[in-house]
Amino acid sequence: MSIDVRNVSFFYNRGTSLEKHALENVSFSIEKGEFVLIGGEVGSGKSTLIRHLNGLIKPQSGSITVNGMDVRNKGVRSKVSLLMQYPQKQLFGKTVYEDICFGPSNFGLKGDALAKQVRDALKLVGLDEGVSALSPFSLSGGQMRLVALAGVLAMNPEYLVMDEPTSGLDPENRYLLLSTLSKLHSSGISIVVVSHQICELLPHAEKVIILKNGCIDFIGTPKEYLMSVSSPLPEITSLMKDLRLEGFNVRDDILTVDDAFLEISNALRSRGAKQNG
Amino acid sequence: MDSLFMSFVPGDSIIHRLDPRTKILGLMLASICIFYASSFEWIALIALVFVILILVCKLPLKHFVHSARPMILFFVILFLMQLLFTEGKPIFSSKWITISYEGLVLGTILTLRFIFLLLFAALLTTTTSPSKITAGIEKFLRPLPLKYMGISSHDLAMMMSMSIYFVPMMYDNFRNLKDAQLSRGLNIKKDPVKAIIALSVPLVSISVRAAEDVALAIESRCYKSTGRTSVHMMGLKKNDYICLFLYILLILFCIAY
Ligand SMILES: Nc1ncnc2c1ncn2[C@@H]1O[C@H](COP(=O)(O)OP(=O)(O)OP(=O)(O)O)[C@@H](O)[C@H]1O
Ligand SMILES: [Mg+2]
Repeated sequence: MSIDVRNVSFFYNRGTSLEKHALENVSFSIEKGEFVLIGGEVGSGKSTLIRHLNGLIKPQSGSITVNGMDVRNKGVRSKVSLLMQYPQKQLFGKTVYEDICFGPSNFGLKGDALAKQVRDALKLVGLDEGVSALSPFSLSGGQMRLVALAGVLAMNPEYLVMDEPTSGLDPENRYLLLSTLSKLHSSGISIVVVSHQICELLPHAEKVIILKNGCIDFIGTPKEYLMSVSSPLPEITSLMKDLRLEGFNVRDDILTVDDAFLEISNALRSRGAKQNG
Repeated sequence: MDSLFMSFVPGDSIIHRLDPRTKILGLMLASICIFYASSFEWIALIALVFVILILVCKLPLKHFVHSARPMILFFVILFLMQLLFTEGKPIFSSKWITISYEGLVLGTILTLRFIFLLLFAALLTTTTSPSKITAGIEKFLRPLPLKYMGISSHDLAMMMSMSIYFVPMMYDNFRNLKDAQLSRGLNIKKDPVKAIIALSVPLVSISVRAAEDVALAIESRCYKSTGRTSVHMMGLKKNDYICLFLYILLILFCIAY
């Protein structure tokens, strides 16, 4: 049970003077239940790559399968939900409620089950129940993004793929979104997130893929990623590095404040024991 | 997934380097000729001219095919209307429909006319940058006494060229939107009514917002419609004079014919 991407290459405007090699021989897999972070500079092919994952773009060469099923098969769209970049543009319902219904009802959900799914989705993204009767066009840009996210969550996918879901949100909503993602992740859904805020997502991720000019530049665990690059580290990790340089015996592959707290208190304790003994 | 619909493709051919006014004038003449083309010989002549122009501008035919492709439905409807509703010598008839010879000829010619109209327009927009089209239209409109109506020739030119380039932008938005709704399980074949709503409502709202944004962006860069100069120094060169000469020949020929 996984998404397998094998030797995928893709050209935009193939065979014209504007030809653009957007993906070059990309291979990786996303296991069921895995949290994958995809990064890379602007124009490196991230959006192009994830449009392949539910078959919006058919691979020009190579193959992609979801749980063994080719992505050319439309059935994969109920398994892999994709939230596009700038998702606020896709809203159309008369009310927020109606809009969120669109996805799940397309896959045959009806009645009470549908209503419950929509309410749950709204709660997951932290929107007030009150907005469900409003017109989506009366909301702010950030709120519209949350509604679009709820619309995708309500489809109850196996793989949730998102293109820069946190951009343009306020700190509180970002935090809520991240904790929602880890909640969904722990309930067994695979999460694939494209983001420029790598540091923010590293603690949650299990696999990191960095694209560069359409090729895979790095693939590995978050810890391997921290070891491999000189790019900006999460604040807590650079603090641990500094402590280590100052002579504290602490690990510097720490990603979360909780781990750092444990590590520092252990180091302090052993140092105290040494001084006493 | 290609975004070549009516958009500018940079290049360095003779056609790219012609003065925008020459090209706009050429498009006008071509349109008039196309509308007068009433037989297959004429259409063939127009096709020949078009092929020569493509060879000269050194862009693959693909760019132009892409510009015509989104309109296929329109062409088909146009063709069918002519085919089914023209009276004449029947070549096929059943209980429901009668197809006449005249209908077939008329339908084919009319459809070809529209296709060539679109192709020639695409020839202008693919070889001329938006700002040059604006500059060209502006020069054309300058002699008109627009001042007394409270607008300047630059305003009009700006509006025209912006509407031309809104088309590829809307097309781009439309494709993005289609992808988003397909991801949410939209099935266009199974539920076409829902599909039309799910695609057109956001498209309109995106376009209105985009127009407002452009207006604000122009405003915030202190746009003034009078006393503007253009980055493009326009001047007619040898090739332009050759074209103008050809245009005059063409007009004389048409009058005499
Ligand atoms: N519709 C298109 N037509 C032609 N070229 C395109 C198209 N979409 C993207 N490209 C090109 O393909 C490359 C990869 O684009 P893509 O959108 O996948 O980048 P990205 O990594 O998502 O960037 P960002 O971080 O800005 O979203 C870019 O260089 C872009 O110019
Ligand atoms: Mg992108």
